[in-house]
Amino acid sequence: MKCSKCGNPKVIIKRAQSGQLLCKDCFIESIEKKVIKTVKKEKLLDKGDKVLVALSGGKDSVTTLEILNSFREMNVIDLCAVTVDEGIANYRQDGVDIAIRHAERLGIEHKVVKLKEEYGITLDEIMQKENHKGSCTYCGVFRRTIINKVAREMNATKIATGHNLDDEVQAIMMNYLEGNTDNLTKLGAKSESKAEEFTVKIKPLREIPEREIGVYVVAKELEVHFDSCPYAMQSFRGEVSEVINQLAEKHPTIKYSTLRGYDKIKGILKEELKKDYAHGRCEKCGEPSANRLCKACSFLEEFGM
Amino acid sequence: MSFTLKYKDLNDKREIPKENYTIKDLLDELELSAQTIVSKQNGELVIEDTVIDDGDEIQLVQIIYGG
Repeated sequence: MKCSKCGNPKVIIKRAQSGQLLCKDCFIESIEKKVIKTVKKEKLLDKGDKVLVALSGGKDSVTTLEILNSFREMNVIDLCAVTVDEGIANYRQDGVDIAIRHAERLGIEHKVVKLKEEYGITLDEIMQKENHKGSCTYCGVFRRTIINKVAREMNATKIATGHNLDDEVQAIMMNYLEGNTDNLTKLGAKSESKAEEFTVKIKPLREIPEREIGVYVVAKELEVHFDSCPYAMQSFRGEVSEVINQLAEKHPTIKYSTLRGYDKIKGILKEELKKDYAHGRCEKCGEPSANRLCKACSFLEEFGM
Repeated sequence: MSFTLKYKDLNDKREIPKENYTIKDLLDELELSAQTIVSKQNGELVIEDTVIDDGDEIQLVQIIYGG
């Protein structure tokens, strides 16, 4: 067996979706080229952007940082990073430490924000509450709010997240299966919020399968936090992911076709289902909110805080 | 004929049970999905079709955990 591109016999990956065999160097190059292609095709970056990477220390965010850094080295953009410490015992600290080391390695501005310091509660403490709504609900809302706040503090013009092909396809299917047409209009490579307080979010890894990101970090010997969130198994996303991966075994192109199909109908969905949200402010914290309280503050109120 | 298996905290010497025993055979035996694992043979990344040789060190790295 030889690399389909250069003939090197040391093949490290066989792509089921295309039959392509690649050696280490050609594989790394193919991932970086693909991400750059997505950035250009979707117009994710503008010259002079200051991009805030949501850096957990996991493979996806570290890869996002690594590849966006090539744009920084070409003086196209400036980079900074934020890490949210949700307060999950025996899990989070390793990722935080790795994120700190990557930021130091690249010499970029980096901020670590603890949920406990920002809101007075950890995710572990939330999960002790009776009738909680599931870890991902709270984690997602608090994390988004913190990242958005930090983006404004750091004067970032874009927020880059590590969402990969698998994440995006799961989101499409989850929202479809739940009939959540409102959320279905909001997916894609680049967010388009009308509220100025929401920094534009971009997903440079949107077309890279999760497994290939894992192979990329191992091939490039990047330090990442490989571990499972102790709350992950409680999510609907996990169930949807399992079904899609089962289908992908017999139908290796199914993730790409789901993404392509969604991209084709997204414009129509937005046109048909667009909603005009009230652009108010949360009366408690002042963050943008369509209701009296933003989601984060309404959760805190439910906790009696 | 044996090889060393490194996986998480495991560092085991194992017999090669048959001719042309591949990493895929090993993953099946361990009930691990090739989708969530990358494999190294003597420190170098390899694909799952790779045949395990006498004296090899096979390291399995879990890259997907879910969540």
